[in-house]
Amino acid sequence: MYKYLRLNLALAGMAAVLASFAEGQSAPRLPGEIAWAIHSDPKTFDPAKVDEQASEMVRYLTGGVLLRINRKTQELEPQLAESYHVSQQGTEIEFRLRSGLRFSDGSALTSGDVAWSLERILAPSTGSVVADEFLLPAQVRVETPDRVSVRIHLSKRVIGVEKIFDQIAIEPANRPSEGRVTSGPFTVTDYKRGQYLRMSRNAYYWQRDSAGRQLPYASGIRLDVQNNREQEISLFEHGQYDLIDGLPADFFSLLERRSPESVHDLGASLNTEQLWFNQSLAAPLPEYERAWFRNRSFRVAVSEAIHRADLVRIAYDGHATPAYSFISPANRLWYNTRLIVTRESSTDADRLLSESGFHRSGNQLFDFAGHAVKFSIVTNAGNPARQRMAALIQQDLGALGMQVMIVALDFPALIERLMHKQDYEACLLGLSDTEPDPSSMMNLWLSSSPNHQWNPSEKTPETDWEAEIDRQMQLQASSASQQARKTSVDRVQQIVADQEPFIYLVYPNVLEAISPRLTGVEPSIMAPALVWNIERIRPGESSGKAEGR
Amino acid sequence: MKTRLSSVLLLLLILGSSLVLRASRYDYKTQDRDAILAPATAQHWTGTDDLGRDRAVRVAAALLIGLTGAGLAAALTTAIAAAFGLLAAFSRPSSGSALMFLSEMFLSLPWFFLLMMVRSQLPLTASPAETAVATFLILAGLGWPACARAIYRGALELRSAEWMIQGRMCGLRTGQLIRRHLLPHLRFLLLPQFLVCMPAFLVAEANLGALGLGVGEPLPSWGSLLLELDNSALLARSGWVYLPIALLVLVLLILESFSAEEHINV
Repeated sequence: MYKYLRLNLALAGMAAVLASFAEGQSAPRLPGEIAWAIHSDPKTFDPAKVDEQASEMVRYLTGGVLLRINRKTQELEPQLAESYHVSQQGTEIEFRLRSGLRFSDGSALTSGDVAWSLERILAPSTGSVVADEFLLPAQVRVETPDRVSVRIHLSKRVIGVEKIFDQIAIEPANRPSEGRVTSGPFTVTDYKRGQYLRMSRNAYYWQRDSAGRQLPYASGIRLDVQNNREQEISLFEHGQYDLIDGLPADFFSLLERRSPESVHDLGASLNTEQLWFNQSLAAPLPEYERAWFRNRSFRVAVSEAIHRADLVRIAYDGHATPAYSFISPANRLWYNTRLIVTRESSTDADRLLSESGFHRSGNQLFDFAGHAVKFSIVTNAGNPARQRMAALIQQDLGALGMQVMIVALDFPALIERLMHKQDYEACLLGLSDTEPDPSSMMNLWLSSSPNHQWNPSEKTPETDWEAEIDRQMQLQASSASQQARKTSVDRVQQIVADQEPFIYLVYPNVLEAISPRLTGVEPSIMAPALVWNIERIRPGESSGKAEGR
Repeated sequence: MKTRLSSVLLLLLILGSSLVLRASRYDYKTQDRDAILAPATAQHWTGTDDLGRDRAVRVAAALLIGLTGAGLAAALTTAIAAAFGLLAAFSRPSSGSALMFLSEMFLSLPWFFLLMMVRSQLPLTASPAETAVATFLILAGLGWPACARAIYRGALELRSAEWMIQGRMCGLRTGQLIRRHLLPHLRFLLLPQFLVCMPAFLVAEANLGALGLGVGEPLPSWGSLLLELDNSALLARSGWVYLPIALLVLVLLILESFSAEEHINV
């Protein structure tokens, strides 16, 4: 009995691995509906409390906003606001609403609703993450001179303040409905936890196409909660899903062979994959290890030894771009085109290490005190590309005599080590960057920030170069001149390339799959990459299998 | 007959794996970056994996590591179980019951999660070889209670056997009695326990490895090799991805046939 119980338990675990091959099921598609998968349940439908991807997607699809960033041109476009004006000092912004705006229940949308929605976002009791972007949310005042005008007073200039309004959904005053009554293109009609979320078109949506036809074109949207990528791809191939946003590289190549017209490689994304060493004085590391990690030559040697072209070719099947900076070349406005970067060379790396007191004995590298250079790289389990990169780096660094152990941890355990215990030596992770403006990266670069991962929450900058990064980031955040901001951001990029607190590895490419039955999709590198113009996406006839296969 | 066939098959697998390791020009960790997911060739007999590592060498090494590790762990767990079971059987009845209650308690724990918890506490800098030893030691350390219960029952019955009473009357001490007389008689219990534990430990290691908690990379193990099956994009590119699961099932069937045969003999 015991024998069978143990074997059955063990085999059940193995079956979980194999279960991913089973073909998934999805809710039936309604006529005119567009369907795709989200990878977790939305934590909230309240647009003011959004703080994760699935909820953000729901807000994007249902929330009407004053201004919207055009994901293709990266420029702001008026939406519910017909026009807007920012004062010269940057402390006052005035919106004028379109006339005849209505919520999805037919009630009128006025400046009172806008003021109420803004004040709700700014109230500390709401706990909105958007509020922090106003820098001093408690000191923001909202006025409504008439039914179509809204005036906002800030106590301090906020660079790019207009862009914040892309994230603020306007709701009916005093009637928060969690997406049921909206001013955006869709409204939430049905939600089954862990299964699907259904939305239907807002009959009172304000936008029309050039022929005068009311948008959105699609009658509705179905988002299946589906965290199994294999099933997602299988359902896409069978015509059950219309889109896959963020296709893993392996599957891109697979789908490309079967249906080349449905996959799109948009080139480098704004996201980065990087390796960093733990330099925190609070980390429970031996002093000699901390000394390696705080040594610039050690970090640069590691960077020089890593063959990024191999990472791209092997880990990403060619669907990534070698990275040397925290700003991707896809971010044309901010990328430093004159950046002087590390040259990949094992010989240079060897020389740099020996100049810093490291020496080889056989296949092992030792520091000047005779400690064998041996450390672990932690990464998250369940990301094959990242794990392959770790294995490739292990061999690259092995060529320098470094003994590297790879440890894949589940995400909560990894975050616990990184953010709370700081109990790790090196980490390989990616950062998603949804906003091209470098102001959004302040929490990463300021030395006092808890997200300054290589050495979080420094009381004062521990090195001159970190102090300089702080200074330049503050400068770019407060300067009104675009040229001055660019100069500061270029300077930060060069300091980071010289000091390598983060060793940038690759920018994964934006890989998307779009069913040929859809028209009007304009893929973008900014999230939501495929559905940013959802109101103009037109579903074609549904079929059992993906067309064009 | 069936046991003989199984023994021959197992021996062939062990010999074949050893031969592959000796004859191949590649080792289990060297990445041939110009031969990623290469098909079977004269250089790579069963192709390469997604990092260009020779699949035949890695599968052969995983087979030998798995069998050695699971075999040693099964031997250790059987020894712990025998010691615990005999201690309980030869203690005062109240102490024996208390010890068995302890093992029942241990048995009721969610052992797979316990296994994951204990394994995740290993230092991050543990080398792949150390993780392999630790993984199988943890399996041995957690696998003994059910086995101990069976041995306790068997030893209790044998304790009042005539030949035991006679031994005691001849002046043999408990230790001598156990070593010279009891253990040989318990062979019919110990061997099946060993044979049952071995495949269970192999599968447990494979599960831990599939969760990223088994033997550390780049040392090959069933767990890390089976992880490839979790990626259907890879499955479409190379049929050789199925080689590890096919061999693991074969090894498990062989080991199961040993234990089944032993049960029949009992």
